[in-house]
Amino acid sequence: MNSFWEFLSGIRWQDFVDILLNSYIIFRLYVLLRGTTILYMLMGVALLWFFQRIAVSLGLIVTSWLSQGLTAVAALIVVIIFGGEIRAAFRGKGLKAVFWGFPKHNPPSSVEVIADAVFDMAQKHTGSLIVFPGKKSLKGVVQNGIIWNGEVSKEMIISIFWHNNPVHDGAAILDGNQITEVGTILPLSQRMDLPKYYGTRHRAAIGLSESSDALVVATSEERGVVIAAKEGEVKVMHKRSDLANRLREHLGISVNRPHFWAKERLLLTAAGVLSVLLVTGVWFSLTRGWNSLLITMETPIEYTNRDSRLEILSTSANTVRLHLSGSYILLKSLRPDQVRVQLNLEPAKPGQNVFSITRNQVSVPPGIILSKVEPSTVEMEIDVSITRTLPIQVDWEGELAPDLLITDVKLSPQTIKVVGSSRELENISTIYTQKIPLEKLDNSGTRSVPLALNRQLSLSPEASRQVTVSYKVETRK
Amino acid sequence: MKRNTPLLLCFLLSLILSPAWGQEVAQKVTKEKLTLYNSVMCEDVQDREPFNPTVVFPISRGKAYCYTLFEPVPVKTYIYHNWYRRDVLSFTIRLQVQPPSWATYSNIQLRESDRGPWRVEITDAEGNTFQTLRFSVTE
Repeated sequence: MNSFWEFLSGIRWQDFVDILLNSYIIFRLYVLLRGTTILYMLMGVALLWFFQRIAVSLGLIVTSWLSQGLTAVAALIVVIIFGGEIRAAFRGKGLKAVFWGFPKHNPPSSVEVIADAVFDMAQKHTGSLIVFPGKKSLKGVVQNGIIWNGEVSKEMIISIFWHNNPVHDGAAILDGNQITEVGTILPLSQRMDLPKYYGTRHRAAIGLSESSDALVVATSEERGVVIAAKEGEVKVMHKRSDLANRLREHLGISVNRPHFWAKERLLLTAAGVLSVLLVTGVWFSLTRGWNSLLITMETPIEYTNRDSRLEILSTSANTVRLHLSGSYILLKSLRPDQVRVQLNLEPAKPGQNVFSITRNQVSVPPGIILSKVEPSTVEMEIDVSITRTLPIQVDWEGELAPDLLITDVKLSPQTIKVVGSSRELENISTIYTQKIPLEKLDNSGTRSVPLALNRQLSLSPEASRQVTVSYKVETRK
Repeated sequence: MKRNTPLLLCFLLSLILSPAWGQEVAQKVTKEKLTLYNSVMCEDVQDREPFNPTVVFPISRGKAYCYTLFEPVPVKTYIYHNWYRRDVLSFTIRLQVQPPSWATYSNIQLRESDRGPWRVEITDAEGNTFQTLRFSVTE
């Protein structure tokens, strides 16, 4: 029970945002790709991935390896083969439509208009071929269509199939209330059992209905008959109402409109809930996976908010060992620079200090849990930084000519201000120059020499690192 | 005049022996301060004088001398020569100085391990520094 509460308390507000954001992305993908083949393919890929996770958790080595490969290949295939369909789903949509709006699956209010136009053409023995797409996309099935994007009207339909119109031989595609393409070439049926009086137009109607879920309506020039083909099956439409009902049935139009919208809302709500459940499952699998690990990581301590006057003389530890737990995937991809231990030195005082390393001072990536810190405290000796003025002395080395003496040395400046910890400066009473060789000295002179400072000391900002040495050389008596 | 001579002698004697006169002399003595008149590092001291003053002492020379001359010296007292090598006190030599002026010195035997920068702090018995002399011991 305790572990359950620990588990829940480990969830942060960022995790809720994470889940909700990704759920919305999945939901939007569903909304935009609904009715396309790509959605089914993506669901297949997701299923494969889920299968692979189960295989991994059960320790099925070959299965998990194979399913992992299949998932990768399937994802690649989806992108390559259905690239056109993905583009089509997003084409012409603004940012608002992609992120917020719902594509309107409005029932065409012009079913009767279409039926009227078709039967008028049949009466006049005007050949026509009209495609009503189903849920699957027709991309790749139909060819050479000319983009039309015109509002459906009886006159428009009749004029498209008027015998002098250059596009009258092809098929017109109607999507909702729009004629999207005209002059489209449809695949011909290869069936041998079709009546001999079926011409190319009939074969095209049957051909497309065989290779898609579209409904294709055709009128024949010779006999003036209206047929409707779906899933390879041809039905003769004797009356306008027959055709109108067939169209309504295909387009899923209910006479009762409120019922249609209720169904639509239910479907979208279900999709939303499923998206949240799916992402939550994935999130828990990634962050609190069944195959969680426990690792230790040696991390350097970073000191923050140090008073510039304070010097750290010694510390009991420069690094701490962090015990981290989390899912295998997250820990496997963890880089040392993602884990930081920052010790706030604001309360530090000169002398011996003891600092506790709490969870607040350790930052780890989301999803990774800090179990333990070793050592949990750091002892630190801190001293105040002070400024002192010290005399400078020349550090001679080498061998002076035996007959010479250096009788006098003058320095400019004679003293220098140095900054360092009070303890360090307590033991220093002279700052030396760097060594000056004696071998080449045979006359009095002046030279500029740098100062030799140890690492714990620094010069005050106004001080120069060079000192001028004037020396007097005389002959030994 | 001869008659007055004993009286004059008595007057002078009483003046010398009087407490007022003794107090004046003592005040004069205490008013004078022990002063370092001259100090120098040198290769030798000959006839109470520094010989070959220098700031660089080759080990081959054998010894380094610190010569100090105090003048005035109000009362007999002690002064100190504190020898430091690289800020570390190597040894301290106590030297007596006597009125009215006194020259004195200390020295060290130079060895291979003595190479480097040195200083001698000349202080009084209370530790007040008169002067710091700086030199180097070289090859």
